[in-house]
Amino acid sequence: MATVLLEASTTTRTSIVKPPAPKRQYPGALVVVEGIDGSGKSTQLYLLKRWLEIGGYRIHFTEWNSSPLVKSATRRGKQRRLLTPTTFSLLHAADFADRCERQILPLLHGGYLVLADRYIYTAFARDAARGCSPHWLRNLYSFAPVPDITFYFRAPLDVAVNRIVAGRPKLKYYEAGMDLGISLDRAESFRIFQERILSNYDSMVESDHFVLMDGTVQVNKLQKLMRQVLGEKVELTQFAPKK
Amino acid sequence: MVSVNSKNGNPSSKTKKRKKKNGQSEIPSRFYGVPLPGVKLEELSGTLFVLEGTDGSGRSTQISLLTEWLESEGFAVQTMGLRRSFLVADDIDTLLAENSVTPMTLALMYSTDFFDQLERRILPALRSGLIVLADRYIYTLIARSAVRGIGRDYLHGIYEMALRPDLTFWLNVKPEIAFDREFKKSQTISYWESGRDMSLSNDLFQSFIRYQSLIRREFDYLSQRHGFIEIDGEESVSEVNRVLRKRIASALGIRSTHYKPSHALAHLWR
Repeated sequence: MATVLLEASTTTRTSIVKPPAPKRQYPGALVVVEGIDGSGKSTQLYLLKRWLEIGGYRIHFTEWNSSPLVKSATRRGKQRRLLTPTTFSLLHAADFADRCERQILPLLHGGYLVLADRYIYTAFARDAARGCSPHWLRNLYSFAPVPDITFYFRAPLDVAVNRIVAGRPKLKYYEAGMDLGISLDRAESFRIFQERILSNYDSMVESDHFVLMDGTVQVNKLQKLMRQVLGEKVELTQFAPKK
Repeated sequence: MVSVNSKNGNPSSKTKKRKKKNGQSEIPSRFYGVPLPGVKLEELSGTLFVLEGTDGSGRSTQISLLTEWLESEGFAVQTMGLRRSFLVADDIDTLLAENSVTPMTLALMYSTDFFDQLERRILPALRSGLIVLADRYIYTLIARSAVRGIGRDYLHGIYEMALRPDLTFWLNVKPEIAFDREFKKSQTISYWESGRDMSLSNDLFQSFIRYQSLIRREFDYLSQRHGFIEIDGEESVSEVNRVLRKRIASALGIRSTHYKPSHALAHLWR
């Protein structure tokens, strides 16, 4: 276990806003995965979800950007490249608010184990990399419940970027951070953008109590560890099927 | 090769951050807090006037008249309002029609609508030296969300990057008067104007009065916090217009405030 759980972040950057105090006024539990593209987080959460599903646990899985609410606006904005860092951020926040108030919170109050692929830390890391004020972002998402566990999947930049670039013929405009005007070359822009996001994630490890997961570890071994951490931090029996 | 790239990336991001910090310390009070990314205040040579007030306070009428007056004085005018962005205006209409939307989501959709207009229409207009007349601004958005239980500090936090208007006029009208005007206009009272999502009363009239009273109370608070110019909106259209022209004329250095509406707008002049 010690080989996988890395040392806490090496960055010395101090967090700008004080961390949200974890508080739970509901019987459910919230487990989220975070990390840059290609860090292996979605694969691991999928495996965790399958394990719980097969075991008959009361769970619900939710994804960043999954609501139909802002789909047309996002598409419109992306196609015509109209999104600014601010409107990009607000649209995602509106989408998240919809999911949070109509899905995540009711499920937590109803005693579900909620699994989220990406959460507010994605917005903190990515939108700050676009130039939004970190303080403004923290306020924007202050209505979100604090997770019981935040798994932070960390893979070296090269490993993560190669995983994405190899599997994708063309990087999309906003995905590659082309709106930032860092570089005219998409692959190059993507790399620099991801690097900024990675460093923003690293700066939250301590302040937001991330559980660091080494994304270069073999898939099945990492999954074993993930299940172990989940069992330690969340009382799984309360979500287990009644016998 | 890869590590060379990453080194190239770092310094550029640092210079960007430094620039922003310098900008922050120099800003006068044209923003409430952190300014919008990439906005240079010295470029904004135009003027922003805001008209606030509840439904039925006469804002739109006054904006039409002021636009005509300012144009006759040789000023180019751009207007803004709620739900007029290219990005999300239609989506908000859909949400309102379905009315299954939660207050937080609606608040954030409206803020997207606001910033899309501000960044892509209003700031360019102000850079070109235009006069911007806003039919409602962040204050209505803050008031509507605040009465639905969203924290005032939270709301001010979202809009801290908004541009502070040069002048904000509050057309203050009693809810009963507003009801008469709104009813006359459309022969009915809408779901949202009467705050029916808040379950205040099953009686539509009561619901409207209670809802608009809550909004008015928020305006009262916002007026003190942000220094609104309060105008008695129950006065005649021509009287309210006279007061507005006087204040705007002195802000813009227009000497004569004489104005008589054209034939096209004469029907508004009561």
